Amino acid sequence: MTGFGDRVLGLGLLVLAVAYGWAAQQWPEPFGGAEGVGPETFPTILSVVLVAGSLYLMIRPDPDAQWPVRKSALELVVSLLVLVVYAFLLEPLGFVVATTLAVGTLSWRMGAAPRRAFVTGLASAVVVFVLFNYGLSLSLPAGLLEVH
Amino acid sequence: METLGFLMDGFAVALTPYNLMFALFGAFVGTLIGCLPGLGPANGVAILIPLAFTLGLPPETAMILLTSVYAGAMYGGRISSILLNIPGDEPAMMTCLDGYPMAQKGRAADALAVSAIASFAGGLIGTIGLIMLAPVLARFALTFGPAEYFALFLLAFATLGGITGKNPMKTVIAATLGIMISTVGIDISTGTQRYTFGILELYEGIDFILAIVGLFAISELLFFVESRMGKGREKVNVGKLTLSFKEFVTTIPTQLRGGVLGFISGVLPGAGASLGSFISYTLEKQILGKKGRFGEGDIRGVVAPEAGNNGASSGALVPMLTLGVPGSGTTAVLLAMLISLNITPGPLMFTQNADIVWGVIAALLIGNVLLLVLNIPLVGFFVKLLSVPPMFLLPIVTMVAFVGIYSISHSTFDLYFMIAFGVAGYFLRKLEIPLVPIILGLLLGPEMEKNLGHALVLSDGDWSILWASPLAMGLWLVAGLGLVLPYLIGPILRRRMNSAMKESPVSD
Repeated sequence: MTGFGDRVLGLGLLVLAVAYGWAAQQWPEPFGGAEGVGPETFPTILSVVLVAGSLYLMIRPDPDAQWPVRKSALELVVSLLVLVVYAFLLEPLGFVVATTLAVGTLSWRMGAAPRRAFVTGLASAVVVFVLFNYGLSLSLPAGLLEVH
Repeated sequence: METLGFLMDGFAVALTPYNLMFALFGAFVGTLIGCLPGLGPANGVAILIPLAFTLGLPPETAMILLTSVYAGAMYGGRISSILLNIPGDEPAMMTCLDGYPMAQKGRAADALAVSAIASFAGGLIGTIGLIMLAPVLARFALTFGPAEYFALFLLAFATLGGITGKNPMKTVIAATLGIMISTVGIDISTGTQRYTFGILELYEGIDFILAIVGLFAISELLFFVESRMGKGREKVNVGKLTLSFKEFVTTIPTQLRGGVLGFISGVLPGAGASLGSFISYTLEKQILGKKGRFGEGDIRGVVAPEAGNNGASSGALVPMLTLGVPGSGTTAVLLAMLISLNITPGPLMFTQNADIVWGVIAALLIGNVLLLVLNIPLVGFFVKLLSVPPMFLLPIVTMVAFVGIYSISHSTFDLYFMIAFGVAGYFLRKLEIPLVPIILGLLLGPEMEKNLGHALVLSDGDWSILWASPLAMGLWLVAGLGLVLPYLIGPILRRRMNSAMKESPVSD
């Protein structure tokens, strides 16, 4: 079916718009009555606009985009995982180790030879660490490299 | 005369060694980012914002840094267009038409040199235009009431999709999404918690710097992974400079026309640098007619679009500085910086923060000179950089974005948030929902709500105040036009730009 992407997006946005607008009606009325603009006025307008927009998307969708299949889809998921794991390990492992791993893995997955990828990762990690910690005196987590 | 005095004060701000150093750094990094295919000025500024923040730079220094990056990226865009036939971003597209043929004929050095000078001329003309027009517009904008501001914001959203934008409804959706994100947090006027779900991190709202870096930088990485542009490119030979003085002189009228046209299209909301480079190229083609050999490596075909897009980049600062309404994606990101620095952009900025406004304007003038001086001798370095494969560069750029965000709050929570925005940005870009209106919505949402509130208080709850004055009515009208025009003109303009690309015999 053409326009599948837009229709799915439209449906998602419709659900979002309704939930968003409904939530706005649940807030307690502010002290002093409902004259002028309350906290719910603006969100209510927004949800109406978004409902209209999402209906339009579902009725008149644009032609579909090219979605990545199999291998590139897998690579995308891998890159995302690398980013999430990087954020998770940044503090416990420290900046230099975590960055070497993250930049190295990303470069490698994007087609670099593994050794060059991790050497690039290490070099960039050390440069940025030195620059930030000593040049700009912003502290990045040292993690495993911390001197006790 | 009064303006001249302010400008002198601006120079006093911009010429301190500290600010000059950041201008130079920004110009260098900007050129670097601009010449990398795929990374445009908006990404460049987005990646550097967190850095400007964590360094705790004073507002004028931060703005000088970022505007230098902006100007530098516009300069750098031409390098990959000329040498590789790959435009770094949309405005650089027209430069490919004659720049690449020139390079193929062994005149790459000439094309690079003359385009650097054209960028300088365009930037200079645009900045002079900014100096003349901005104070006038700011004075006019002082007469705006809340209703007019509300309409002005609508106008900004309606036109930001740009004339080349495909589906105006998607612009509306994007803007609405952005404003919706801005309503998360505690409502300032009543103290009601809105959409916080009891999560402490959300009480103060969603930091738009996270959103910007995620949407621009992280989604860019994902696009690279998908398109597998990881391979290196063959080495490019620049050759010797053979440009004669006489040949250079023949390009001067083109430089002037291009700069002026570019400036005008930069000021117009939504038109921006792409239109600037396009119309100055087409006009030049028409003026010179058979005398030119456009598409086959005519030197004026390089000069016109470069003068045009650099003129436009200064022009886009006019509505941003005077009305608080950005004229392009990159200026939207700059606006984010101003708001984060607790400076309300708009007409009052010219009186309340005169040192910042005029410091930035003076820095633009200085920046253009710096860029010219930097670009002629360093062009070899930037060319070398082009042969570094993106598979090494892009992960490093992403890491810098991580570091910047982490350094602001030292919280891993923010990093996850940024990644989430990156994923959202990837899907939205795939579905052709423009990202810039989202950013703008995020930035202007609170102001819009505040102005709506003020207007309704003034009118005792009568909604018709929003379109009561002729000025407000005019703004609504133009906003309506801004939404309808892409339907009418957009397809024609796109077709023309594409057919211009196809006409040139060597482009692939």
